[in-house]
Amino acid sequence: MEASGLTDHISRRFNKDIEDLRNNVLTMGGLVESQLSLAITAIVTGDSALGLQVAEDDYKVNNLEVNIDEECGRILATRAPAAGDLRLIVAIIKTITDLERIGDEAEKIGFLASKLAAMDRPSDSYRELKTLGQHVAHMVRDAMNAFARLDVEDAWEVVREDERVDEEYEAIQRQGITHMMEDPRSIKRVMNVTWCARSLERIGDHAKNICEYVIYMVQGRDVRHTAIPDAPETDS
Amino acid sequence: MSDAARKFLLGIVLFLIAGALVGGIYGYAVIGLMVAALLALVWQVRQLLSFDRALRTGNFDDFRYGDGIWEQLFSRFRYENDKSQRRKQEYRRLLKEIRKSTNAMPDGAVILNADNEIITCNRAAKGLAGLKRKKDLGQRVDNILRDPELVGLLHAKDQSASIEIPSPVVDGNWLNCRVVRYGADQKLLLLRDVTERIQLSKMRRDFVANASHELRSPLTVISGYLDALSDDDQMPSTWAKPVSQMRVQGKRMRHILGELLELSRLESAGKAESDQTVDVVDLLNKAKQAYEGHAQVASIVVREESSAGLNSIPAEIETVIVNLLSNAVRFTPNDGEITLAWRSGADGADLVVSDTGEGIDPEFIPRLTERFFRIDKGRSREAGGTGLGLAIVKHVLARHNAELLISSEPGEGSEFRCHFPAERVVVSPPSLLS
Repeated sequence: MEASGLTDHISRRFNKDIEDLRNNVLTMGGLVESQLSLAITAIVTGDSALGLQVAEDDYKVNNLEVNIDEECGRILATRAPAAGDLRLIVAIIKTITDLERIGDEAEKIGFLASKLAAMDRPSDSYRELKTLGQHVAHMVRDAMNAFARLDVEDAWEVVREDERVDEEYEAIQRQGITHMMEDPRSIKRVMNVTWCARSLERIGDHAKNICEYVIYMVQGRDVRHTAIPDAPETDS
Repeated sequence: MSDAARKFLLGIVLFLIAGALVGGIYGYAVIGLMVAALLALVWQVRQLLSFDRALRTGNFDDFRYGDGIWEQLFSRFRYENDKSQRRKQEYRRLLKEIRKSTNAMPDGAVILNADNEIITCNRAAKGLAGLKRKKDLGQRVDNILRDPELVGLLHAKDQSASIEIPSPVVDGNWLNCRVVRYGADQKLLLLRDVTERIQLSKMRRDFVANASHELRSPLTVISGYLDALSDDDQMPSTWAKPVSQMRVQGKRMRHILGELLELSRLESAGKAESDQTVDVVDLLNKAKQAYEGHAQVASIVVREESSAGLNSIPAEIETVIVNLLSNAVRFTPNDGEITLAWRSGADGADLVVSDTGEGIDPEFIPRLTERFFRIDKGRSREAGGTGLGLAIVKHVLARHNAELLISSEPGEGSEFRCHFPAERVVVSPPSLLS
């Protein structure tokens, strides 16, 4: 039973290869998602051990990237896929790069979390980082869901969401500047918070990229650097 | 041969004989027979065609030429047809009922095939896990629920465990997942919202930790003054005994609070990650030494049956040994014997503390690791236990994926066996010299 409809070949092996590849990408996505949510938890709860754990576990993501890359190369060389299959492979090669970057950013956040845990905590316990983090985590999750379901509409939704993340990032920055002007002693901490927010914002961009590859994979058109269509009217 | 069939044959034969006879009267018997056969054929063909039409249109009133065997055939068919229709309706109704009841279930259920592809799921699963019923059919469930722990569970050989994963739909919610195998390679993934339970247990843990912590500071002050008082020569001698008792009880309270804090730390900590190798036998010997020279203690024997090490944190294993040994000492008479043993095998290693003490009633064994559980309330308190020792042992072992197995025979003695899984055991390489 193939859900995608992408994999319908006379060669059973080819079917299986492609299906396995897709599953591996989604496994990698799952790992990245959990890394990200652990990193955010580490920041919010000030858990330095958890933060370091996340930073340490990044190698798992890297290993998966290398394996999937190799598999893609093998399929390209031995099967010479065309049309939809070729688009799938190309999209996967790009997707895993972005996933790996998300993993790297999560690693950075985990590391920063362990540093922030040692400093004074503001009274709001980094609420703005939590909000931004959850927002971005949802984007990554929805991007992987769109990838699994090959759902173009959901993919567009994530692309649109990215603008809101950018706004939130901007707000955190502005808030940080105010804090630093009020009290120079907070500079060190606010710098770290800004780095975290920066990483989260980058993760949002990577999630957006993944969704653009999903659209490319399904519809065969490149929507990078083009105008974002408005959300369709819903009947609710 | 049925009655109708016999009649049918008889009718045809009689008809043909009658035809031949009538023909024979005019001297053309063969032609008479042929004419009769032709007539019989035409009659049967008409009925056959009519039967066919009735079947095709489904309008059974169209069947007009029914007689004899045809009518019987026809009514039989009609009866079977009605029966299967009724059965179909019954099945449809039953299916609808089952679907309705599975949709009403508060827990999510997802039916999977051997490749973990979704065959169907109920409404709760859609809500809890964010599955889409139409779109996700045939999709592998670990493509949608991508939590690494769940993926691990779905691919594990032993799927009896249940795990808790963060909800993919609502932040901060938790799902309990279980996989049940059934039929030929089918699986049922059960999802349950356990947010409330997890929050409650976290609240309880926090409460115990905070309360113990808050109680400790005033207790330190009280104990300090009591110490000073007992050293005071001017204190009336009538107060000497009360003060010394207060000191003993104060010490006990500090001890209990310390263990409660330790327990809540163990509970909130995850798996024991360590790169240290613990020499268990060495710890056993040290624990034995602590009791050396004490009068009124049963003899303690250490048996080294393995040289394997244990991947763990030394302080935690020491806690396990000290707790188990102090229990054994407390419940073993002076002339008894306590054995501490360390063994290893293919399926892991065992740390065994056995004694020849009074033993435990089987009905109490399952409750032994509860906090503050005591079999004989007065006695063990006098003996100085806090009631938390075995709870701490259980939690330390849980952090190591290890199990505490208790067996006991009242009057004969008890055995506490800590079974560590093979991946925790470090087999030392054979020495090059030997």
